[in-house]
Amino acid sequence: MFLHYLDLSWRSFKRTPLVSFLMVLAIAIGIGVTMTSLSVYHMMSADPIPEKSSDLYTVQLQTMDEGRTWWTVDNMPLQLTYQDAVNLNQANAGGKRVTMVRTGFSVYLDSDKVKPFIGQARLTTPDFFDMFNLSFIYGGVWSAQQEADAAPVVVINKALNDKLFAGENPVGKMVYLDDASYEVIGVIDDWDITTKYYDLNNGAFNKTEQLFLPFSLMKARQLENWGNTNGWKHEKTNTFNDKLNSEMVWLQFWVELKTPAEKQAYQDFLMAYMQEQQKLGRFNREKLTATLRDVNEWMQYNNVVSEDNEILVGLSFMFLAVCLANILGLLLAKFLRRAPEVGVRRALGASKRQIFFQHIVEVAMLGFLGGIFGIILAQVGLLGVRQSYSYYQSLATMDLTMLLSAPVIAISTCVIAGLYPAWLVCKTNPAIYLKSQ
Amino acid sequence: MLEIKPIFHALCRSKVGAILLLIQIAITTAIVSNAAFIIQDRISYLSQETGYPEQDIFVFNVMMFGKDVSPSQQYELDEAMLRQIPGVVDAAYSSNTPLSGSGSSSDFSLKPAPEESKSARSSYMFIDEHGINTYGVKLIAGRNYTEDEVIVTDNYDELSKVTVVTKTLLDELFPDGNGLGQTVYFGDIPMKVIGVVELMKGPWLKDSRPDNVALLPFIKPGTNARFVVRTEPGQRQSVMNRVEEAMLKNYNKRVISRIRGLDDDKESYMAEDTLMMRMLIVLITILVLVTALGIFGLTLFNISKRTKQIGTRRALGARKSAIISYFLVENAMICIVGLVIGVIAAVYLGQLLMQHFSIAQLDISYVLATALAVFVMSLLAVLAPAKRAANISPSIATRTI
Repeated sequence: MFLHYLDLSWRSFKRTPLVSFLMVLAIAIGIGVTMTSLSVYHMMSADPIPEKSSDLYTVQLQTMDEGRTWWTVDNMPLQLTYQDAVNLNQANAGGKRVTMVRTGFSVYLDSDKVKPFIGQARLTTPDFFDMFNLSFIYGGVWSAQQEADAAPVVVINKALNDKLFAGENPVGKMVYLDDASYEVIGVIDDWDITTKYYDLNNGAFNKTEQLFLPFSLMKARQLENWGNTNGWKHEKTNTFNDKLNSEMVWLQFWVELKTPAEKQAYQDFLMAYMQEQQKLGRFNREKLTATLRDVNEWMQYNNVVSEDNEILVGLSFMFLAVCLANILGLLLAKFLRRAPEVGVRRALGASKRQIFFQHIVEVAMLGFLGGIFGIILAQVGLLGVRQSYSYYQSLATMDLTMLLSAPVIAISTCVIAGLYPAWLVCKTNPAIYLKSQ
Repeated sequence: MLEIKPIFHALCRSKVGAILLLIQIAITTAIVSNAAFIIQDRISYLSQETGYPEQDIFVFNVMMFGKDVSPSQQYELDEAMLRQIPGVVDAAYSSNTPLSGSGSSSDFSLKPAPEESKSARSSYMFIDEHGINTYGVKLIAGRNYTEDEVIVTDNYDELSKVTVVTKTLLDELFPDGNGLGQTVYFGDIPMKVIGVVELMKGPWLKDSRPDNVALLPFIKPGTNARFVVRTEPGQRQSVMNRVEEAMLKNYNKRVISRIRGLDDDKESYMAEDTLMMRMLIVLITILVLVTALGIFGLTLFNISKRTKQIGTRRALGARKSAIISYFLVENAMICIVGLVIGVIAAVYLGQLLMQHFSIAQLDISYVLATALAVFVMSLLAVLAPAKRAANISPSIATRTI
């Protein structure tokens, strides 16, 4: 029966090509506009590491003196001080954990083949790769001993390996970073995340780093922080050591906690840690606060999805409503004009229900066609977005979910629009039309 | 004369079409007025005065990895070399780039820290005596600092004793306008205000105080440095093309990166707002077209339904103009009701946006202007079908009864 209805719909489409085309166009435009903004929204808010996003927590400590304020909603600093980040990493609490900071180097080789260039780097403790599910193509991570010794070793990403070593196994080779040489000990595979959730400070949608080195190198070689450093009080920080001992915040810290019990235990540990530090003269405040946020909570807290995008999504759905009203009007016109034909079919024994479903199938078909054209329009829209803002390069795309939801949204919109006209037409009283034939 | 009563009765007999039209007009008014308001807001943000001749300025980064020269001496040589390049007006070392979204800020107070006193948050830049000329900003009072006042050091204790600030910053600290020559504190370091710059935007245009900037004559030469160069109008591109080569020729154990115009930096900082503005413009353009088409289509449908009726009216002596005015009045009636609902919805939507997002209070004039525009648009959309209706021959009425 369904196929028969489809056939009837197609015939009806061909009978009034202009009106049908206008309807498909209206849906396509509505879907195109909505899907453009919705796709960007979807990519921005997508869970970057779904398999363990609820196990990874970042730690925030309220280090500021009583009465001081921060710009976040809950008044908490976004990063940690060096003392806290190191202490938390060394303490025997929680699962895997990582302390890290962003930096960069001039990168070059012994030979003249590659012109020196700036490489983005991350100084991190070795659990990093395991925690964020990175896989190695060659070699592996540095050992705990190498971390403790601040060994001059480096893990590079695939793109950099392609550039420096033509994609061959570089393990054991040397690369120059600034004025020192480092041994390459591993190459990680492409790391395609749209949101750089582990460090949202300098652009949430920037690329991940190319070089990864032991965190202890920072102190040993006085490497500079290329991320944000924030202070809340006046401190003398003339030397590197001053900075390490200061209350300035500039490090990221993540911990893996697999169960609610582990999370609770870690929360207790943080509280105990802060009380202990209080005895040493820090955390000069009455109420101690430590916050654990998982990946998705962290992204929300940092407003990763831009306000503009939320407004656009809202407006596009209102736009879709206008298109819906438009389609409804056109459907009414189309269906009511067909009342005589329906009257004959009713007289020949078609039930109201059959008439109703026949018309719903017809609008669903229009919706499907509109959805398909809508996807094409949305691709044009997304292309425009990418052209206008290259930073959104990886965001302004449609993934499979969005591709599938476009026709779903289109069909459901059309069916909603078609309910009233279909109901109206199935109520047709056959007698009237039979009389005037 | 306008036959409002019979038109109204006729409308009551085909409510659905009218209601659909009404909904479209209402939503369109609500969206367009709010979107237009946001667009206007972005346009004024995007086209604001920054105080710089952005087209003539470019910036680049230097990262030294060679250790066989002293950075401070090398930078002096580099600056001298840059100023020699034909087409270059001036060049300076600059700790960060204005308009780029990255920089430093601190509180400047009237008393040394940790004493509590009146303070103002401001961005600051370490820059030598060529800074003001290189950035092409206007010194409106006092003087620039001299070469001797520029401190080149590795130690923050020795920070500069003088500063040049923007008028906005000075007025915030000294509302009475007597700030020139006074001392302000950067942490606990006293600095005398020796000059005032008229307008010079800081690194963050979205900051609550984008105009607060302090220039400090202090250079802490590290392996990372940034240079800013101003060229003669029209010469920028050619100078930019050769700057890397010239710098590496001076000393080659370093990387020259991110050579970009000041306007490029500003553009990428503002790219998200540009995108929002463009998307909203596309959105409202399509929306108005769709609504116009909707009105057009619905009127056509109404006319085809009423062909016989129109023919009868014409046969009974109605003029063509009467038929046209019938449809215009009918449309105007629906439109006015839709607009009233639309204006209310627009104000409500504006309030909603203001509550949830950082968007200013919707200016009611935008709503009224949009309502007027939608009204005119709907009349135009009706005009063509109405003319067609007027051309229906009276003989139609007699053909089939």
